[in-house]
Amino acid sequence: MNNNNQAHPDTEVPTVHHIAVNDQPQGFPASSDLSVLVAMERAGQQLISVGCRGGGCGKCRIRIVQGEYFSKRMSRAWISPQQEDEGTVLACRVFARSDLVIEPDPPEIGTHCQPQDQPDCD
Amino acid sequence: MKKGVMRPGHVQIRVLDMDEALKHYVELLGLIEVDRDDQGRVYLKGWTEVDKFSVVLREADEAGMDFMGFKCLDESVLDNLHEGLKAFGCAVDEIPEGELKDCGRRLRFTAPSGHDFELYATKQQTGKWGVGNHNPEAWPRGLQGIKATRFDHCLLYGTDLDKTLDLFRDVLGFDLAEQVVTPDGKRVAQFLTASMKAHDVAFIDHPEPGKFHHASFFLETWEDVLRAADLISMTDTSIDIGPTRHGLTHGKTIYFFDPSGNRTEVFCGGDYHYPDHEPVTWDADKLGKAIFYHDRQLNERFLTALT
Ligand code: FES
Ligand SMILES: [Fe+2]
Repeated sequence: MNNNNQAHPDTEVPTVHHIAVNDQPQGFPASSDLSVLVAMERAGQQLISVGCRGGGCGKCRIRIVQGEYFSKRMSRAWISPQQEDEGTVLACRVFARSDLVIEPDPPEIGTHCQPQDQPDCD
Repeated sequence: MKKGVMRPGHVQIRVLDMDEALKHYVELLGLIEVDRDDQGRVYLKGWTEVDKFSVVLREADEAGMDFMGFKCLDESVLDNLHEGLKAFGCAVDEIPEGELKDCGRRLRFTAPSGHDFELYATKQQTGKWGVGNHNPEAWPRGLQGIKATRFDHCLLYGTDLDKTLDLFRDVLGFDLAEQVVTPDGKRVAQFLTASMKAHDVAFIDHPEPGKFHHASFFLETWEDVLRAADLISMTDTSIDIGPTRHGLTHGKTIYFFDPSGNRTEVFCGGDYHYPDHEPVTWDADKLGKAIFYHDRQLNERFLTALT
């Protein structure tokens, strides 16, 4: 209802496209009314890192190597206008309009608290 | 020692799309729209709040927090704190009355953590929404969604926690209520209060200054937190984690994201702090349990999804 997961950027009947990830054997189907990121999650895959799902945190950054897509506004903290022109996008803000070939491009996000430092964590 | 700072009074959040944001903050979270200004900013409040607004949304091309404001007792406190901030070495901008609608002059400064904060003493008091203060009923009918009662605190990720603590404690009169400390004595998280609440603002050590982790809103009961979780699922809203309990402050909580990727928390319960209380300390190797008391594991997203 009120979320990017169910955004309807156009009124057409949703069509399903195939998202292939460079150098990976597996891909996933993406309905044109779901963001590429949420489509990946629904397919039970972890090819792109998942953060806020709202275009704010940058974690899901990818490069679209091939194919047509529609994109919603993405935080300029992570995607410059030039990057946007060259197909670097946030997967949670793009919707497939054809089959796509993508490659993950996660930004470096430093942290002083590493989960892997925690003995409780796996 | 208290210096006349009373409470978190407002937070201005940047959103990528105002219509989407209002669905989140009004229809889902249950804040009430009280005004708009000619810059296109939208003013919201929780129903129990006496002042006119506590959340201001601004459409921008980056998500995150513009500033957090604290309300002070009166205008003379503001003058004293202005001197204190200057003596500490902060550059202070005086923002004239009315720049935020129905809000008095504000003193704006940047903390060593890289975040912008404001102090102000005057804001129009429109009273609790839907109930008066004379023989008031328990709650108003007509609230939406999660029915958040009030803006409670922010958690911010940034640099130079020590100097930030000096500023908040020595100049602004906050207490250190809770902290996370590494074996070599470095404080990596600090929860600060100007009141009896477990935290009014909290900081986590981070290499990049000025990052926003979440704005938090208060609910009365655990049942309300579960009901929030139901609504988050019903609306297919992007979830982070919960419902669960924190070790730090022991609040019961759920985290989710607004449609621009800013994290929202709603929580209930939690510890209290008086000025004579020693800080509560967590060891950094217990950070998993400190943050998520039940899972006892940090999830990577909680540490690195910031705006
Ligand atoms: S998941 Fe945060 S920007 Fe896409
Ligand atoms: Fe919080």
